[in-house]
Amino acid sequence: MKIFFKAFPRHLLLQFKMDIRERGTLLTYYLLPLVFYFIVGSVFVSINPASKQTLAFSMAIFAVTMGAVLGMPVPIVKMREAEVLRAYRVCGIPGFATLLVHAVSAFLHLLIVSVIILTTAPIVFGAGIPDSYAACFAVLVIVLFCNIAIGLLIGVTAKNQSTATLLAQAVFLPTVMLGGIMFPATMLPGALRTAGYIIPSTHAVRSFSGLAFGMNMESGAVLSLLILAGIGAAAAIVAALRFKAVSRA
Amino acid sequence: MNVPNEAVIRINGLFKRYGSVNAVNGISLKIGKGEVFGLLGPNGAGKTTTLECLEGIRRADGGILEIGGCDPQSDERSLRHILGVQLQSSSLPEGLRPAEAMSLICAWHGLPDRLDLLDRFGLTDQNRKQYRELSEGQKRRLHLALALACNPSAVILDEPTAGLDVQGRAQLHDAIRELKNSGVTVLLATHDMAEAETLCDRVAIMIKGRIAVVGSPAQVTASGNPDVRILLSTKNGCLQPGMNTGNARFLRQTDNYGVWLSADAASAVMELLKYVQAFSDTVEDLRVERPSLEERFLELVEGGTRR
Repeated sequence: MKIFFKAFPRHLLLQFKMDIRERGTLLTYYLLPLVFYFIVGSVFVSINPASKQTLAFSMAIFAVTMGAVLGMPVPIVKMREAEVLRAYRVCGIPGFATLLVHAVSAFLHLLIVSVIILTTAPIVFGAGIPDSYAACFAVLVIVLFCNIAIGLLIGVTAKNQSTATLLAQAVFLPTVMLGGIMFPATMLPGALRTAGYIIPSTHAVRSFSGLAFGMNMESGAVLSLLILAGIGAAAAIVAALRFKAVSRA
Repeated sequence: MNVPNEAVIRINGLFKRYGSVNAVNGISLKIGKGEVFGLLGPNGAGKTTTLECLEGIRRADGGILEIGGCDPQSDERSLRHILGVQLQSSSLPEGLRPAEAMSLICAWHGLPDRLDLLDRFGLTDQNRKQYRELSEGQKRRLHLALALACNPSAVILDEPTAGLDVQGRAQLHDAIRELKNSGVTVLLATHDMAEAETLCDRVAIMIKGRIAVVGSPAQVTASGNPDVRILLSTKNGCLQPGMNTGNARFLRQTDNYGVWLSADAASAVMELLKYVQAFSDTVEDLRVERPSLEERFLELVEGGTRR
C-alpha cells in the first residue's frame, strides 16, 4: 500500500504528460471542445440571447462528455490491443492502477477545460455566473465522474478501436442532441423528451441549473445529481468487473 | 550440465488446455540458480503458454509451478519482485520516454531509478525520444532493461533477439552472460538454434505440448542421428559421386565437394584419403561437421532424418 501511494502520483503525472503529448487526446480533451465553445458562444448567443444563462455550464457539460466519452475509450482499447497492459503487469504495475491513472488523468484534463469554460464564459460572452461556486464545483465533479465512468466502461468493453468509436458515438450524439446542451429539452417532442431522461447530460443540465445557477427546475435538481452519481457508480462498477474478467482471461 | 540441486524455477506436471487442444501436456522441469535454460520448439509447441503460466499472466489447468519459492499462479505480487519478464510481443504507451518508463517501473517496485540499465543497453542517448520513435531493436532492449529493473533472481525472455540486428543481438547475448555470471536464472524461448547452442547450459525441445528431449546442447545433439558429415574436395576430382567406403556413405555432391556420412569419422576420413592417394590426387579441402542442434531439432520436429 505504501508503494501504491508513492508510485501512483508519479504514474499519474506521467500519464498527464503523455496525454498532452498525444495529438488525439489533446484534440478531444482541449481543442475541439474549446473551439466549439467559442463558436457557440459567438453565434448562438447572438441568435438567442436567452442562451447566455446556460452557455457556461452547457458548454462545460459538452466538453466533459466529448473528452470522456469520445476521447477516453479509444486510447484504452489501443493500450489493450498493443499489449501495454500486459507489459505493465509483468513489470509490476497493477492493471487496475493503469486504468485508474487514465481515469484520474482524464478527470484533471477535463476539469481544467471545464474551469476554463466556466470562468471565461461570463467575461467573454456575458454568460450567467453561478449562484454558488461550491455547488457548481460539486456538480462538475459528479458530472466528470459519471462521464469518465461511462468512457471507462466503453474502453474496457469494446473489442477493438472501431467498436469503441461506434459505441462512443452512439452515447455521445444522443447526449448532445437530447440532453438540453444545444437547446432546451423543453423544445423536444414528447417522446424524445422522455428518452432524454435516461441520458446523463439531461441530469447534468438540471443539476447545474437548479443547484449552481439558481434556475427554477420543474423537478428536483438534487434527484438529478443523485441519478448522475448512480449512473457513474454503476458504470464504474461494471467497468471494474469487466476489466477484472478480461485480465483473468 | 546435470539437473541442478538448487532449483529456482520448478514446473511439475504443467497442463494447459484451450478448448479441445492440449497446449501444454503435463511437462516437468527444474532450472537451477544461474542457469541459462533454452526452451525450443516449433510454433504452437506450447512454449509461450508455458512461459505465460510461469509469468502469472495465464491460468494453468493443472500442475505445480514455483519461481524462487513463490507460486506464480496465486502470489503475483511477490512474483513481480523476483521475476523479470520480456514478453514476446508487448508495447509501451507511445508517448513514454525510456527514462520515464524506467522511473515508472522502479517506482512501482519501490526502488530508486535504475538509469544504469538504460546506459548498459545503449539507451541513454535515446532519452529524448518517445517510445514510438524508437527502432525495433531499441524497443526490445528497453523491455529487457525494464525486466531487470527489480533486480530479479530469475528472468524469462521470450524470443528476445527477434528483430534485432547483429550488434543488438551481440549486446543482448553479453547481457545474458552477465546475468548468468551474477547468479540470475534465465529461461529463454527462442527459434534461433545457434543462439541456444551458444548461450544455454541446457535446452528442452517442446513438441505438441510435451518435452521431447532435455539436456545440454551437446547431449541433445548427441541423442539424435550420430552420423558426422565429411566434406572433401580434391584437385582432380578423383572421388566419383556415389562412391562408398567401408565407413563412409556417399550423400551428395555440392559444388566441388563430395559429402559423406559416417558414424566413425576417423576411419572414414582415413579411407577417403587412401583413395585420394591411390589416384595420385591432392586434397584441396577437408571438413568434418558434427550434427548441429538445429539438425537435431529438425529431426525431432519432422520425425525423420534431415541432413
